[in-house]
Amino acid sequence: MGSIGNMGNMGMENLTNIVVSEGELGNITRVLGRLTLDTGATHVLLLDKSGQLIATQGPAGQRDIIALGALLAGAFASSRHVAEILGERDFRSILQQGVNESIYTSLVGEQWLLVIVFDKQTHIGLVKVLARKATEELERVLERVRVGGRQAKEQVVNVQFRSSVENTIDLLFQD
Amino acid sequence: MALINVASHEIHCKIVYYGTGFCGKTTNLQYIHSHAPRQSHGELLTIATESERTLFFDFLPLDLGTVNDFRVRFHLYTVPGQILYERTRLAVLNGVDGIVFVVDSQPEKLEENFQSLIELETNMRRLGNDLGDFPLVFQWNKRDVAGAVPVATLDRYLNRRRKQTFEAAAITGDGVFPTLRTICKNVMTRL
Repeated sequence: MGSIGNMGNMGMENLTNIVVSEGELGNITRVLGRLTLDTGATHVLLLDKSGQLIATQGPAGQRDIIALGALLAGAFASSRHVAEILGERDFRSILQQGVNESIYTSLVGEQWLLVIVFDKQTHIGLVKVLARKATEELERVLERVRVGGRQAKEQVVNVQFRSSVENTIDLLFQD
Repeated sequence: MALINVASHEIHCKIVYYGTGFCGKTTNLQYIHSHAPRQSHGELLTIATESERTLFFDFLPLDLGTVNDFRVRFHLYTVPGQILYERTRLAVLNGVDGIVFVVDSQPEKLEENFQSLIELETNMRRLGNDLGDFPLVFQWNKRDVAGAVPVATLDRYLNRRRKQTFEAAAITGDGVFPTLRTICKNVMTRL
């Protein structure tokens, strides 16, 4: 589960969640927006390593972004095990090249994945350089999210919320 | 690792169906996909070999809709069951919030189930988790098969942590939704 999960005995409950506040999502969206503009990417995504989508830039509804996130996170996790078998210290990025579009995925602070989908008009060198710059900014956001998450979570997940979710689960998933 | 997006009012949780090859993990997801209300799920994504065995994972996004102003989503995954794919299973477990351990009740599978559980424990430790206080339920699947191992025996050999268990025949849907409801609630409790 990455560095948060590995932090051991510091109160497991809260450390197993990532909580993104409104302000930080604004920061993330700004970074992704600028990256989209500067690279001319068709889509830029920020994923959690577990495959969940945190933020996206690009035309809505054009692609199944949720499935894309799950697949890319799976491919990335798999590539890290390939690195291990090869004795490489780590693969911190992967490039998937297509005829019309390519995808560059890179790791942000051991927890998130930055995904850039771009077409043949954009040079991969540019994508790599700008991804690195964006990663530095996103790592700072991630650091703040880790520190500030607990308080933000308590505003959302309370007894009433849990009980409402449980009722919804019972209602939807009946035999 | 649950993701709580306060800004976009979304909560995402990841549930993995784990177990030996042919124990019925994919069948669980197929049943959920075909019987849950249409608006509550997306497409079932399967990465399988030509012989229709899971190669990487199956993926089914569930959407509970808006609860107290928050959109709640559970993403269901299966792992490939064959021994060969141990590394792939570890990759799929990344960031998991809850696990359904699907057990094949046929007598000749008991040892294989046991080995798979040990592997799961090892993999979870590698990811920094202890199964003891982790959301985990057992599904005793294939109860409809003649000569199925008695539930008490499965419980004794596989469930030393005294987690909740469900009898199931995923092929007909028996026990599929009770299992799903419980693991979803367990994940929410720990959120």
